[in-house]
Amino acid sequence: MRKIFRKDGRLLNQSMLGIVDATAYKEEIKDLTLCRTIAAIPFAGRYRLIDFVLSNMVNSGIESVAIFPKYQYRSLMDHLGSGKQWDLNRKRDGLFFFPSPHLHHEYDEFGSFKQYSDHIDYFLRSRQKYAVITNSYTVCNIDFQKVLKHHIEMGCDITEVCQNGKSLQMYIMSTELLMDLMKEVAYSNYKSLHDVVSSPDEFTICQYEHKGYVAVIDSIEKYFKHSLEMLKPEIWQSIFLKDRPIYTKVKDEPPTRYGRNSKVHNSFVANGCIIEGKVENSIIFRGVHIRKDTVVKNSIVMQKSQIGEGCTLDHAILDKDAKIGHNIKLIGDEKYPYVVQKGTVQGALMNS
Amino acid sequence: MVKKKCVAMLLAGGKGSRLSSLTKNLAKPAVPYGGKYRIIDFTLSNCTNSGIDTVGVLTQYQPLVLNSYIGIGSAWDLDRRNGGVTVLPPYSESSEVKWYKGTASAIYENLNYLKQYDPEYVLILSGDHIYKMDYSKMLKYHIENEADVSISVIEVPWEEASRFGIMNTNEDMEILEFEEKPQYPKNNLASMGIYIFKFSVLKEFLEMDARNPYSSHDFGKDVIPLLLEENKKLVAYPFKGYWKDVGTVKSLWEANMDLLKENPQLDLYDQEWRIYSVNPNHPPQYIHEQAEVTESLVTEGCYVYGNVEHSVLFQGVTIGQNSIIKNCVIMPDAVIGKNVVIENAIVPSGLEIPDGMIIRPDKNLEEVILVTEELVEETTVTFENK
Repeated sequence: MRKIFRKDGRLLNQSMLGIVDATAYKEEIKDLTLCRTIAAIPFAGRYRLIDFVLSNMVNSGIESVAIFPKYQYRSLMDHLGSGKQWDLNRKRDGLFFFPSPHLHHEYDEFGSFKQYSDHIDYFLRSRQKYAVITNSYTVCNIDFQKVLKHHIEMGCDITEVCQNGKSLQMYIMSTELLMDLMKEVAYSNYKSLHDVVSSPDEFTICQYEHKGYVAVIDSIEKYFKHSLEMLKPEIWQSIFLKDRPIYTKVKDEPPTRYGRNSKVHNSFVANGCIIEGKVENSIIFRGVHIRKDTVVKNSIVMQKSQIGEGCTLDHAILDKDAKIGHNIKLIGDEKYPYVVQKGTVQGALMNS
Repeated sequence: MVKKKCVAMLLAGGKGSRLSSLTKNLAKPAVPYGGKYRIIDFTLSNCTNSGIDTVGVLTQYQPLVLNSYIGIGSAWDLDRRNGGVTVLPPYSESSEVKWYKGTASAIYENLNYLKQYDPEYVLILSGDHIYKMDYSKMLKYHIENEADVSISVIEVPWEEASRFGIMNTNEDMEILEFEEKPQYPKNNLASMGIYIFKFSVLKEFLEMDARNPYSSHDFGKDVIPLLLEENKKLVAYPFKGYWKDVGTVKSLWEANMDLLKENPQLDLYDQEWRIYSVNPNHPPQYIHEQAEVTESLVTEGCYVYGNVEHSVLFQGVTIGQNSIIKNCVIMPDAVIGKNVVIENAIVPSGLEIPDGMIIRPDKNLEEVILVTEELVEETTVTFENK
């Protein structure tokens, strides 16, 4: 067979499609998904959950990515735009958005072939020999090229990425097999990827052990736990790698301003904030204003939230645009962090 | 090309020699400022915010950094189908290479660029200054006054007036006389180097100036006096607000310190007048358990383990444990080791300061140190500090 080389020297027949299944809805994290899909939940100070899988794909040389969203995908589309920030605004390939054309729940599960087959044209037009399928809410830094190498060496039908025996909902298979499964979905017993990997008699299923840090964000408790876990140097250093960066939509925020009496310890702070109070073990997203005599600890404060004077926040999650007046206490615990929903106003409105 | 009402020409070839080693490899407009910007961001953002979507950027001195920074202008929303940003370097004609001899000759050599858009007005800007200004208001003023040329002026303290080009005007702000750095100034209205010309007048006078072998081809020195001589209508447009020409290491440092004041005159947080810049992709800033950060500006991609007081930290800067940074400007990707003390200094991009080094003015607290590789090599580290 004639080998086709691309300009970067990679074999075309070893290139991959990226499929991000963003159809998930989880009751356990509904406080943060009232106005957005899980994939678009803000994470780690300036990212959205989808940035991690998407950046992993791009950093693994994937040039064609299809996103299958379902619920509340406005904010996800707004975030991804043309895919420019991930270098996916290409003339050929690039970023594709395939919302479900139907709104019934019969194929709600991750890896539903019906969901993909509604957009089979995309697969028919693609030249890539392999496909990576992932969910949208797994935070890690993984090289899919290595998974593919393992997949090819082992000669399996499907390779599943696992950690300590647990599936990470990341799969590699040939695009051809994926299309066969799609075409036969109406008559076969295999309705989803899960059905396929549970049938080792018919398909050879391999596992690839991912050794690095992984956080699966599918509940408020896990969101809270893993967010604060990012503050550990050994963890953020394994996620934010210089040569495999996590890309996101960038904003034109000025630098963050620290006041005369600000005290900030063990925290991540994004740009555009004004910090006049005390911040400890917390994640502060961009454009947040924390006024004097306020203490924010063990908390997550999302974009553009404002916190007045003399407040205490401990184990709290403030969603975007929350406004907290003066002298207010919001205290939760590890299992049930105090969640303030997007745009909520608590306490007397501030003048400015 | 679709005809444009107003096209901006941004002079960005300045060498900024008084900025010493900071401009060794880059032109003055590319010098970092304010924690995440380069000086030229202010002028380019002013253009976008004023609704001017066609900007020619004239480069000459050390253009590599500037050219790649500007790119196709998308950072300032100037990647337009019709117009947008165009970098205009000097070029050679069949007979000779035409280096830009002065500000006026730079525009003269690019008259063809302007003719493409056949604008009614041309806005001439300098990429050397830090300020926020709505050029559309100046254009309106220019049109209402039926002026041939409008020159933006700012009131400077009388004692400093002899450092500037001073406009002597009548009550109607019509310019009667222009004096470059007068010993005995009659007025304190300084030219900001911002001009709006009727395109027809600009063309005529640039061609006239180009024919004059004795001209230094400079707007301030040659073209403005010539316009006055020919009785053209020149009006001064008074500007109020923050405006800084960061010509020296000290003034660059001061302009950064200005941002740390309680209510800085230059508001970077104004949503209505965003200053755009190329946004590098960095994780959020990480402030360590033992770090202290007060009265400072810090940008994404910084890792702070030590103490930062009254300083400006650009993206990608690391401050090591137990280090004390006070009254400093730390430019992108500089790495400050452990147990370091730096006061009243500018640390340029990418410089590494080894553990235990102490850099601060001896007695003279007015002094601002520009840290260089040579200085780092010469400074000895005492054993206890290491």
